[in-house]
Amino acid sequence: MPADPSKIKILVVDDFSTMRRIVRNLLKELGFTNVEEAEDGAVALQRLKSGGSIDFVITDWNMPNMDGLTLLQSVRADPSLKSLPVLMITAEAKKENIIAAAQAGASGYIVKPFTAATLNEKLVKIFEKMGM
Amino acid sequence: MAKPINFDESSDSDDLQALFDSIAAGKPPAPPVAPPERDASGDSDDLQALFDSVVEQVAEVPAAVPMSGGAGESSAQEVAFNRIGHMARQLHDSLRGLGYDRMLEDTARQIPDARQRLTYIAQMTEQAASRVLNATDIAKPLQDGLLAQAESMSGRWDRMFANQLSVDEFKALAADSRSFFHEAPGKIKATNDQLTEIMMAQDFQDLTGQVIKKVVEMVQGLEGQLLNVLIEVMPEERKAAAPEGLMNGPVISAAGRADVVTTQTQVDDLLESLGF
Repeated sequence: MPADPSKIKILVVDDFSTMRRIVRNLLKELGFTNVEEAEDGAVALQRLKSGGSIDFVITDWNMPNMDGLTLLQSVRADPSLKSLPVLMITAEAKKENIIAAAQAGASGYIVKPFTAATLNEKLVKIFEKMGM
Repeated sequence: MAKPINFDESSDSDDLQALFDSIAAGKPPAPPVAPPERDASGDSDDLQALFDSVVEQVAEVPAAVPMSGGAGESSAQEVAFNRIGHMARQLHDSLRGLGYDRMLEDTARQIPDARQRLTYIAQMTEQAASRVLNATDIAKPLQDGLLAQAESMSGRWDRMFANQLSVDEFKALAADSRSFFHEAPGKIKATNDQLTEIMMAQDFQDLTGQVIKKVVEMVQGLEGQLLNVLIEVMPEERKAAAPEGLMNGPVISAAGRADVVTTQTQVDDLLESLGF
């Protein structure tokens, strides 16, 4: 885990405000107090491209305007964003979904409903891979 | 909000009627819609013939109708548009002949009601979630505070019993402990109040459960009726399952399905097996 989690800026993307709030609270428990929100992939991508130093993206899949997979693909296709860690937290549980997300370059995949322990575990794994 | 459909005496929408008439005007006359006869396969001969003739006409439309227009291309689009309108007119007449339009009208009237009910459910569950999250926002700091104080004081008492405190420190510890025991019940009660609030917030289940039941009934009725219509007008070779895509939402029932996973462990195993 990073030495100072409060320095890491995380963007949480989900069309349900309740879910965004839950993820925000869980992140706060883990020390990540610097959290921003977006209600769909289009708003998220706009936020990412406006150069606001987001360090980590946590996103749902099924959202209006731009879904999570398309957001992931857009991030990976943008030279300035392509190595941004993107963790998917979604209700989509078909094997097809998991494979598609992995192939599109998702840094992790959490299926809903999930536990705080699972979120922690996946975050640790991703930060380890990033050498943090 | 869509404007309400106006159904006249012939039980047909005025607007739809006008639209179809304008498209159908000046086009080759539709094959007559005779009362359907049932054949052994359960599909009407006349309906089958009607559908085949319409499909033939649509097949004559040029295969590629490009989006950007040139003069030649826009007239091809017009032709396609007219053919489709014509086919819709024929389908409309067929449905009317079969008596399904009245049934569809009834069904369409139920849909705004169902939409209202579902909106109600979404509101109730959102309110409940909000109440619960607010309660935890209040209770968590109280508990964290109590925990921190108790741990710190416990440490000091341990040092006391290890004879590491001076008399003054011991007096201070005694006074602090007394304050702690004085304040703790208030905080604990406040937390209990929030727990009760969380319990009470679950009352949405009763109300949404009743509304869901009504919507399920309505949807089942709608499904049955639409299936009947579809089976009537669809030719044999079209009756295949449509592909599902990647936006299906949560898996309600995994029974008998091999294409979904149900636990995070299965997700992790699948990813590992693919080398991710």
